[in-house]
Amino acid sequence: MSLEVQLLLLAWGTLVGLDLVSVPQMMIARPLVAGSIAGAMLGDVATGLQLGVLFELFQYDILPMGATRYPEYGPATVAAVSAAHAATGTLGLGLGALVGLITGMVGGLSLHGLRQLNTRAVRRAAAALEAGDPRVLERVHAAGILRDAVRAAVVTALGLVLAQVARAYLAGALPPHGVALLNVAAVGAALAAGTAGTLRLVGRGPGLRWFAAGVVGGTVVAWLR
Amino acid sequence: MSSLPSPTRARPRLVRSLLRLFTVQGSWNYERMQGIGIGVAEEALLRDLRTEGGADGVAYRAAVARGARFFNAHPYLCGLAVGAAARAEHDGVPPEQVERLRTALCGPLGSLGDRLVWAGWLPFTSGLALIGVALGLGLPAILGFVVVYNVGHVALRWWALRAGWTYGARVAQALREPLLQRATALSGPAMALVIGAALPLVAQYLSGAFFGWARVALAGVVAGGFALLWWQRARLTGLRLGLALLAVAALAGWLWL
Repeated sequence: MSLEVQLLLLAWGTLVGLDLVSVPQMMIARPLVAGSIAGAMLGDVATGLQLGVLFELFQYDILPMGATRYPEYGPATVAAVSAAHAATGTLGLGLGALVGLITGMVGGLSLHGLRQLNTRAVRRAAAALEAGDPRVLERVHAAGILRDAVRAAVVTALGLVLAQVARAYLAGALPPHGVALLNVAAVGAALAAGTAGTLRLVGRGPGLRWFAAGVVGGTVVAWLR
Repeated sequence: MSSLPSPTRARPRLVRSLLRLFTVQGSWNYERMQGIGIGVAEEALLRDLRTEGGADGVAYRAAVARGARFFNAHPYLCGLAVGAAARAEHDGVPPEQVERLRTALCGPLGSLGDRLVWAGWLPFTSGLALIGVALGLGLPAILGFVVVYNVGHVALRWWALRAGWTYGARVAQALREPLLQRATALSGPAMALVIGAALPLVAQYLSGAFFGWARVALAGVVAGGFALLWWQRARLTGLRLGLALLAVAALAGWLWL
């Protein structure tokens, strides 16, 4: 993979990381979008879509409410697609999932660190903020956004390095059965997480009937195809 | 009290505030949460106050300081609080009442936004995109998701800001709008139906290359993983389950030579 493509992925991962919380929350941070665009950058849309779908299911396990801590799957999906790209077809799913889940965990931890840094900055500027100084207010806010951009870039860079390492040392190390097991584990965990997360959202009320109707409809369509 | 422009005349300022609202969580922190971002967005609507309360803009500075205090709600609906608080400042509402208004809005705006967007519109549109990808639509399904989702997203942000500015301290009326009530009531069932339909299609899409024992193993992993996530929901997350299963699979695959 050329340096230009790696830099392009780094820039995309940074934008995706910024979108999650800071600017502008237009959902390019959703794994479906992050993964498919990363795939297009690599000239491998199919792998991008597959990993986008896989991590979108993991994303259903999360409700980004208030101060809750959660993994960050946007830059993680970009790194996952980069890892899976070299291993052709579905062989890369398990490898991509491994890289993506680790990167997602690091991303989640980095968000907590960012919030602590922002808290310190707000405390330092407390007097000026209480005096209603608009310049200080804007400066504190802009610095927070800048910090998040740096954080997103660092998380994406770490993910891309991890993808390189995984490709170099793991891709050829497992026998075909082992690769298949890894793929089964990745897809199985994603489907289980997506189903459990959705059912937690739906609850036991009337929504459950709609969910069941959807499952029946989807199963019929899948069977007819 | 300042002379208050109508929503039409105030549009340039509302647009500036709306653009700033897209960054509302940019300085999210554990002390004031969204407060700084809210303050930045509100400041654009408070500039008329600079000429009041003396040459150094005492009223303006006091309003800016209030605007940047603790606030936390759904980011897409923060505009309602920004518009309402700015309007209340222009209307000469006492400071303690403005503070109470902001505090009172946190819970309802958070709860409404979570139900309407995080548990409704977002999973509904992303579920449609999953179905599209699983049925072979590819990138157009993703593009469609980004466009359709953001039409709703931007419309909601703009409505919230305008409604806040229009109603001011009486902003609770805006939350009773029939369209909003209907959308909240419909979003849950629609989300459940779409994601329910997406799951079997996505399972087929992702397992397309699996044959024989791998399909049987997949069914077992999904059933076991779901049971674990359901019964251990307080401790086990999808991320932890995924990492644990991948570690077990890598070990088993390495031993299976």
